Amino acid sequence: MSQTAIEAAEARPSLAVGALLERGTGYLLLLAVAAFAVWHLVATPAAFFTTLVVGINQGALYALIALGYTLVYGIIELINFSHGDLFMLASVLSGFLMVSAFGATAATTGAFLALIATLVLAMIFGAALNTTAERVAYRRLRRAPKLAPLITAVGLSFVYQWGGIKSNGSGQRNWDTILGSSGFTVLNVKVPWSMIVVTAVTVPLLLGLNWVIQKTRQGKAMRATAQDQDAARLMGIDVDRTISLTFALGGAMAGAAGLLYLQTFGTTRYDAGFQLGLIAFTAAVLGGIGNLNGAVLGGVLIGLVQALNDRFGLGVAYSQTVVFTILILLMVFKPEGILGKPTTEKV
Amino acid sequence: MTVNSGAAPTGREGGDNLLAVEDLHVYYGNIAAVKGVSLHVKQGEIVTLIGSNGAGKSTTLRTISGLLRPKKGTLTYDGQNLATMRGDKIVGAGICHSPEGRRIFPRMTVEENLDLGAFLRNDKAEIAADKERVLELFPRLRERITQKAGTMSGGEQQMLAVARALMGQPKLLLLDEPSMGLAPVLVDLIFDTIKTIRDQGTTVLLVEQNALAALRVADYAYVLESGALKLTGPARELAKNDEVVSAYLGG
Amino acid sequence: MATTTAAPGTAAAAAKAHTTNRKWAVGLLIAVVVIFLLYSQILPNAPADVQTFFRRWLSVSAVNEAVLWVVFALGLNIVVGYAGLLDLGYVAFWAIGGYVAGWIMSPFASSMYSSWGGLKVSILGRPPDIEGLDTGIHVNFWLVLPIAGLFCALWGLIIGAPTLRLKSDYLALVTLGFGEIIPQILRNGERIGPNGVFNLSNGDKGISPVDPIPTWPISYIPGVPDELALKASDLPYKFLVYCLLAALTIFVSLRIREGRLGRAWLAIREDELAASMMGVPLMRTKLSAYAVGAFAGGLGGVAFATHVGGVFASRFDFAISITLLAMVVLGGMGNVWGVTVGALALAWINSTGLEQVGQQINSSFGTDIDFPSYQFLLFGLILILMMLFRREGLLPETRTRQVLQEPERGELESVGADLEGEPK
Repeated sequence: MSQTAIEAAEARPSLAVGALLERGTGYLLLLAVAAFAVWHLVATPAAFFTTLVVGINQGALYALIALGYTLVYGIIELINFSHGDLFMLASVLSGFLMVSAFGATAATTGAFLALIATLVLAMIFGAALNTTAERVAYRRLRRAPKLAPLITAVGLSFVYQWGGIKSNGSGQRNWDTILGSSGFTVLNVKVPWSMIVVTAVTVPLLLGLNWVIQKTRQGKAMRATAQDQDAARLMGIDVDRTISLTFALGGAMAGAAGLLYLQTFGTTRYDAGFQLGLIAFTAAVLGGIGNLNGAVLGGVLIGLVQALNDRFGLGVAYSQTVVFTILILLMVFKPEGILGKPTTEKV
Repeated sequence: MTVNSGAAPTGREGGDNLLAVEDLHVYYGNIAAVKGVSLHVKQGEIVTLIGSNGAGKSTTLRTISGLLRPKKGTLTYDGQNLATMRGDKIVGAGICHSPEGRRIFPRMTVEENLDLGAFLRNDKAEIAADKERVLELFPRLRERITQKAGTMSGGEQQMLAVARALMGQPKLLLLDEPSMGLAPVLVDLIFDTIKTIRDQGTTVLLVEQNALAALRVADYAYVLESGALKLTGPARELAKNDEVVSAYLGG
Repeated sequence: MATTTAAPGTAAAAAKAHTTNRKWAVGLLIAVVVIFLLYSQILPNAPADVQTFFRRWLSVSAVNEAVLWVVFALGLNIVVGYAGLLDLGYVAFWAIGGYVAGWIMSPFASSMYSSWGGLKVSILGRPPDIEGLDTGIHVNFWLVLPIAGLFCALWGLIIGAPTLRLKSDYLALVTLGFGEIIPQILRNGERIGPNGVFNLSNGDKGISPVDPIPTWPISYIPGVPDELALKASDLPYKFLVYCLLAALTIFVSLRIREGRLGRAWLAIREDELAASMMGVPLMRTKLSAYAVGAFAGGLGGVAFATHVGGVFASRFDFAISITLLAMVVLGGMGNVWGVTVGALALAWINSTGLEQVGQQINSSFGTDIDFPSYQFLLFGLILILMMLFRREGLLPETRTRQVLQEPERGELESVGADLEGEPK
């Protein structure tokens, strides 16, 4: 009986040849991408490094959003479909706060204070909305068949997008940002000031999150709950509260990403979350879903790949196609990503 | 005290029980897993629940520790009704459960697992002392203190599960099949350790399929079959009982 | 032998299902006839304000579109409702079906490749009578339908293949990925290949017009136009054509359901592990679900192209996949009649209801709410509320209720392996 179960669960080609082929193709692909990058590095170094800068900038945003996905998936094995749209709402909120409320549109000290204030508010907003969604929609479905919370998440995504349409209109909205597109040049490479801001916000956030997860009691509870919910209960861990906290942290990261997105690009769109969300999710999978370091690694990598494609590859028009193709290839050949452990399929 | 059949009163009902389970009914969906079980555990005892696979022993334990809710029946512990208490509060009240299948945290080290056992406690010095005590009980764990729990053998994981439960400083320790899958030498070790645990002041409620070993170490025993009580009595008496011997002791 | 997951129940249940099916079929047939007569004979001779009323609230165009949504919804119902595979990229088949029509049922093919300018192929086709527009490939609509269906079925296999070993959430993502990639490629497909010589899809401009629907041999009946294009008087006849497609999809859905394949799908939906242990070939069964579902999408795609007179890439977005999902969820996953009604209702709400009801409310209460903009909210809430409160749909079939309400197998096992059977 168990033999059949294993056979059924692992439909992977058991032939050594098949596995070798998969592994070989994977490495070939990576080699091709690396070669592509090196070629352009050598051919047009200035453009290449500029692209690198853009890629890392984007990558930081993806990393923050990816963390939200990976935190939630790690603890309750749910793809929080609405996470990307949460990020979008946070970006719209940030726009209103920075420009309409604080009038922070130029690089003054006041504006930077407003930035910090908006950052805090956006993170609180993200945390609150995500936690509420968990309480209202997902908690009841924790024991339901997987299809149910998944569909709910999709529905929530649509509701958030409606919120985006209502608050931001059905088109793109432009906002004045503190730093605009100004930057400094280093060795022929333009580095926008906004990237410094993004880095200055993202790095402490990542370190802070890491500290919470690794060093605090609640962080231990989160890790325990992610590994074995029942066992965690037996330790006296309040699993409900731990899950809520996880959603809160993920939402806060998305909130921060929303503000940073606004300040980097100066635009908001009701469907930006959907697009970026999927890319960020790909990043989470690339790095290893459930693994926080993986989310960051994946975010940066995807940011770089996307920037390389937009500049040297098939162009912006095919940006999503490239990223989703990566997603599909990952899912099929290496669903555990870079830092994850290979798991047997749970049928 | 003598051997009783089924749900006949055991004479242990009144007064000073640490844990009193009365007429417990637990369901999975529409399937009844536990049908009208009553058991009593006195302070300082080792009480064992034995029976074959699927008899409802683990279900009973899980209901006591709050992982499951009963459909009917009461669970009184130290004056409190467990059926309405949240799982984490039950642990806080002094009931620690080493579950079936060990359920250690695989990606955490032995030490981190032990620390999690003391999750609700704040007394740092005491916790450190308990850690020492527990590592004395299970020296193998001390050797592997920084090893990831998921990479240990079954026997070591079992020891870790028990040790982890002890870290909660329980008044009542629930052990679910601690000898499952262990080599005979380790089985003896585990049961000796259980005796030591009791001698050190912890009351033990032990679920076991290995009836022989369980009856040797316990004070009182309840035999479950198909979710209901079949026989109850002092462990020594039950070990000599013909039905028990033929059904569970391979006699 | 066969257990509860293999067969749909006793003979009594099957008989009951048959009567239900018959009642629905007859009812819908009557409705079709009535609606056809209404739009072709009655309304053109009705007083002006009656005509206006219908044009506002139930235009024949809106009815036609609703019927087409039924075809797509039933296609998705096979993938999601029967086999339990959460396909979030179904819009891809709608697009592909449409583009097949654009390629072989319009003048477009002659401009696909620069040296194809003089291409003129006609297979029982209806090329336009206009000089210069009779180039390209013109295949008869009725032939294009199965061609597009098969082509989409092939794509169903392509899209389904990577998902076969995946859990439901990953599966949803992969299908979603395809649902984004394919329209994006079509949206940008004006210049493909070296020097961009190949025009796959005419990019954002889309392909228009497509050839009319030939009605031979029905055209021999007096009063019936011999081809259906975009004239107002053609619309009631197009309605019949679309109803024919919907009827075909309904029929196939019902029949397959009762056959071995259908039962295999339901077994997979319920419990993949158990199904495979009972001998259900997982991969083949899942692939067939994708293929059959996609086939319906192909049919609908071609028909939809004749409905709007062309194929336009910008139309094909995620919102469509979600709308279809809402239709399936609302109607009851796996319930053919429920999904049909759900599709008709939601399609109408989307195209007409929101706007018109909104206008009424606004004029009655003096408010100024932009009702159509609530579309996303409406569909999102439908999905959420249905999952929270009535997962089996508004018109559930008993099996779905059982599957969706009982705790997952994995859940049961984690809670306690010592499950007890019935008392002896």
